[in-house]
Amino acid sequence: MTEYGLRVGRAELGSAGPITFGPAGILFLADNAAATVFAVDVADPGSRPAGSDPFDLADVDARVGSLLGADASDVAIRDLAVHPDSGNIYLSVQRGHGESAQAVLVRIDRADASISDVPLTDVPVASVAIADAPAPDDERVDVTLPLGDEGEEITVGAKTIRVLRRPIRTSTVTDMAYVDGSLLVAGLSNEEFSSKLRRIPFPFTDAAGAAGNSLEIYHVSHDKWETAAPIRTFVPYDGGRAILASYTCTPVVHFPLAELAPGTRTVGRTVAELGAMNQPLDMVSIVQGGEEYLLVANTSHGLIKIAGRDIDAQAPLTDHARGLGVPRETADLQGITKLANLDDEHVLALQTDPDGRRHLRSLKAASL
Amino acid sequence: MGNRSGIAVSWSRHGGADCIRLAGLAEVTGPAGLAGPSGAGSDAQVRIHPATAVALGTAPPTAGRLLRDGPDLCFLPRFPFLDGTVYVVTVDGAAVAELTRAGSDEPATTGVLAIHPSAATVPRNLLRAYIWFSAPMSEGYAAGHVRLVDDASDTDASDTDHGDVLAGALLATEQELWDTGRRRLTVLLDPARIKRGLASHREAGYPLRSGTPFRLVVDDGLRDARGQRLRAGADRRYQVAGDERRHVDPHAWTLRVPPAGSTEPLRVGFDRPLDHGLIARCLRVVGPEGRPVDGVADVGAEERSWQLAPRHGWAPGPHRLVVDPVLEDLAGNSVGRVFDRDLARPTDDPRDAGPVTLPFRPT
Repeated sequence: MTEYGLRVGRAELGSAGPITFGPAGILFLADNAAATVFAVDVADPGSRPAGSDPFDLADVDARVGSLLGADASDVAIRDLAVHPDSGNIYLSVQRGHGESAQAVLVRIDRADASISDVPLTDVPVASVAIADAPAPDDERVDVTLPLGDEGEEITVGAKTIRVLRRPIRTSTVTDMAYVDGSLLVAGLSNEEFSSKLRRIPFPFTDAAGAAGNSLEIYHVSHDKWETAAPIRTFVPYDGGRAILASYTCTPVVHFPLAELAPGTRTVGRTVAELGAMNQPLDMVSIVQGGEEYLLVANTSHGLIKIAGRDIDAQAPLTDHARGLGVPRETADLQGITKLANLDDEHVLALQTDPDGRRHLRSLKAASL
Repeated sequence: MGNRSGIAVSWSRHGGADCIRLAGLAEVTGPAGLAGPSGAGSDAQVRIHPATAVALGTAPPTAGRLLRDGPDLCFLPRFPFLDGTVYVVTVDGAAVAELTRAGSDEPATTGVLAIHPSAATVPRNLLRAYIWFSAPMSEGYAAGHVRLVDDASDTDASDTDHGDVLAGALLATEQELWDTGRRRLTVLLDPARIKRGLASHREAGYPLRSGTPFRLVVDDGLRDARGQRLRAGADRRYQVAGDERRHVDPHAWTLRVPPAGSTEPLRVGFDRPLDHGLIARCLRVVGPEGRPVDGVADVGAEERSWQLAPRHGWAPGPHRLVVDPVLEDLAGNSVGRVFDRDLARPTDDPRDAGPVTLPFRPT
């Protein structure tokens, strides 16, 4: 792992955020509390099982909670990733709330469904800070009096007190993907409204600009209005030559990666809307009959499926009468919040049923 | 407690950590499935599960170690026990005890310090609000306990349950937008309903209605970092005006310039209320020779003004107020771009992405 700049150490996760696999089984983990992305060698023990059987696990939140000594209500599964070689499933899990909250990486063995927590101490690790570029100018901090020995001592007159200073501005990672030597990171600021996509070279470097270029991406609706909005979820498309991104304001936008040069104003092509009062949650791209399709999990409908040929043929969405853009097929698959490619034949979905229980479910790509 | 006589199970401590202690297991033998105590001379299978997972039958046992402590066995969990959780202890598959981890009975002490915007009237296309709390908070509760309610027929503003919820007005985000100290929460109104041309906007319309007042309500069910409810809920009432769709234009501001040598503040009046979070970050003053002026900055009432009182007297000579183009108003229009640009309107065109400077000279 030294060729990727990983050194034995500790990935001290303050909060569980998005995860995605990079080269050589390295897992990227976003820690939104620390504004850091870790790259960790997860030392996956498995090898891909023969064939490609579907994988289903009911009550995955209660099972993971059982291992972690927590009720399902104290377990939040923040993201899902599948090891590209073994097919083992990794979950980014927040356990507990407030002071007792802990971020845990959990592995589910695809062969026998056994669940274990993945060590993040004494493992090969590298990290990169993702604070926004203007942060050094931002002197605003929230100063509190800590209960423990956190923070720093300051002396006021004859009195010495301990204070804790923490930045007020934060950037929350909403999604990540690895494409050809770059980690792409989308984020949501707790202050300004913007559409930033950060492109971080991997292996991470110490050089200036290690945190990558931050690119502002605009999109046009109906040939009339141009906006920028935070990217909520995105997926590499067309062999990594392009990105399909979905926004807090729901359109699906296509932009070629090659055009993302720093300092330029990039305008993507709006290819679909997901409908009124609907929020995108996750996207994957699948190949079916030699053609690429996009699957979009969202808050209002079942999975939305969009054919690549329709995306490629789609002129920028300009006309109200054409409504939602490219043709979609809505499968009766409600409650899906996370998606990952399990193997060539299956997509793995995290699904919440009407009772609030969460299940892992394999969807056969051919039948979607 | 259990169906296995002679085994007593209790909360206890071992080596400075909380544990579950099993007494009377001396003659039962060694745990499998858990790292057993070396030389314990027993092979009984001791397992712990949260009670809610027991019904599944096949849930993995709670991770931890089983250690010999004199005649007893102690279970030390890998992850600390959680308050309010019920744990079931089984020995050789038979439940012997159910222990409840008591919740804290400390009184609620955390409250809401402020809700921004502090302006009484907001534009119909209001984008963002901030809520400050007096202590660090827990994540994961905002969606259920922060809402906008219709206040058209308000009779009792202190009643936070009053009024119809404006459904879908706030954007649900997967991860809540807290500052690092978990004391300031940012909430966004659904931008898809504010941006013109999008399906949500066309079909559901703006989250707010001009002329119809509403309230932002924080109820006491939100939890602080200790897991306690708030001392009390809080709310702020707003009137709703028309849309605000212009760039933030620093050249439309008024500057009250202090005398040279004095420590009176520089006062900057805005032409409209600006974003609470961004004002504090986006304004700075640079003195002669490009040196930043050190001092105490304050945001005025309704986020309509800003002032800087210098630590030392104002130097004579040219000064500049430098405005970061990221600075937004309440509707998300910034110095550099409007929130949703009408491509047919030249006044909506994006502006230079560099900082805007307003020169002034203390006299």
